[in-house]
Amino acid sequence: MSISADVLVADEAKDNVAYVAPDSASLKFGRIIWLNNCEGCHGYGIADAPVPMQPRDWMSRVTKERAQLYSHAIDGFISEDYTEMPARGGNSELSDEQVKAAVDYMLFLANFYIKQQDYIN
Amino acid sequence: MMKMKSKILMSAAAVSIAVTGTVSAEVTDATVSVKAMADALHLVMDSDRSVYTKKIVNRLVKKEKVIKASEHFEDDKALVLPAQMFRFGSELAMKRAEKLDDVNFSYTLQSLWPVNKQNAPKTEAEKAGLKYVAENKGKNYYTTEKLGGTNYFTAIYADTGVAPVCVSCHNKHPDTPKKDFKIGDVMGGVVIRIPVDG
Repeated sequence: MSISADVLVADEAKDNVAYVAPDSASLKFGRIIWLNNCEGCHGYGIADAPVPMQPRDWMSRVTKERAQLYSHAIDGFISEDYTEMPARGGNSELSDEQVKAAVDYMLFLANFYIKQQDYIN
Repeated sequence: MMKMKSKILMSAAAVSIAVTGTVSAEVTDATVSVKAMADALHLVMDSDRSVYTKKIVNRLVKKEKVIKASEHFEDDKALVLPAQMFRFGSELAMKRAEKLDDVNFSYTLQSLWPVNKQNAPKTEAEKAGLKYVAENKGKNYYTTEKLGGTNYFTAIYADTGVAPVCVSCHNKHPDTPKKDFKIGDVMGGVVIRIPVDG
């Protein structure tokens, strides 16, 4: 995995305990990419972006093929209701590997909250 | 025909709108908070703009690729941009409201980094609110202010750049004071102002 030094610093202003910190190095890397490029919409549901802390937003997504989620994040995607996911979150400088790492972290986060909900229920 | 008359009352404990009217014999004195009214107005505005963005612009421009959306929509024979649609709605609503005795509120789209200087904040509340929503993602700003002898409840909601074209157009515009917006950044705010009795 190629790691660009300029993306290794998380935006502290955007950091939040709700964005659970993972143990693995690859997910930690994905978390930084996510904070810097995805959190602005996915952290708040801006423009109907699915929020990983909201299980109902991700129940149907976590079961999809990961290749499809990667493809949507890398190439961009217009959903059936015409919601737009911009290619690479609008940052054309992100590599495929960096985008995939961010997707992996978002899935980790979504699964964390889905399991938490299952536990409560 | 339903005719409702609103009277807005402000107290130290709460700001509320007492709504009286002739809806039915049973409903004669309902109350809703002015904050709830502002939140509801914003929800409608934001939802309408979102529907225009998705069902019109994204569908015809990005999915079916049959027309463009352009700031210069008349010259380019194109769709208006979602932010322009919002502004045109604001202008029309204010024009129509002038003819209605019982309807008295305003809403505008403003920015600390406006392409058009007319859209910069003017009051201290607007400046403070736009700064607050930019620095506190996901939160709204509510305050009261007195302008020209009238008390107002003022609510400010973040306006976020959500499409590549919004961000790139602002960053590249010759009149922009800020050129490093990213998708997901707060680029401005919707200011809703409702007069209240103080």
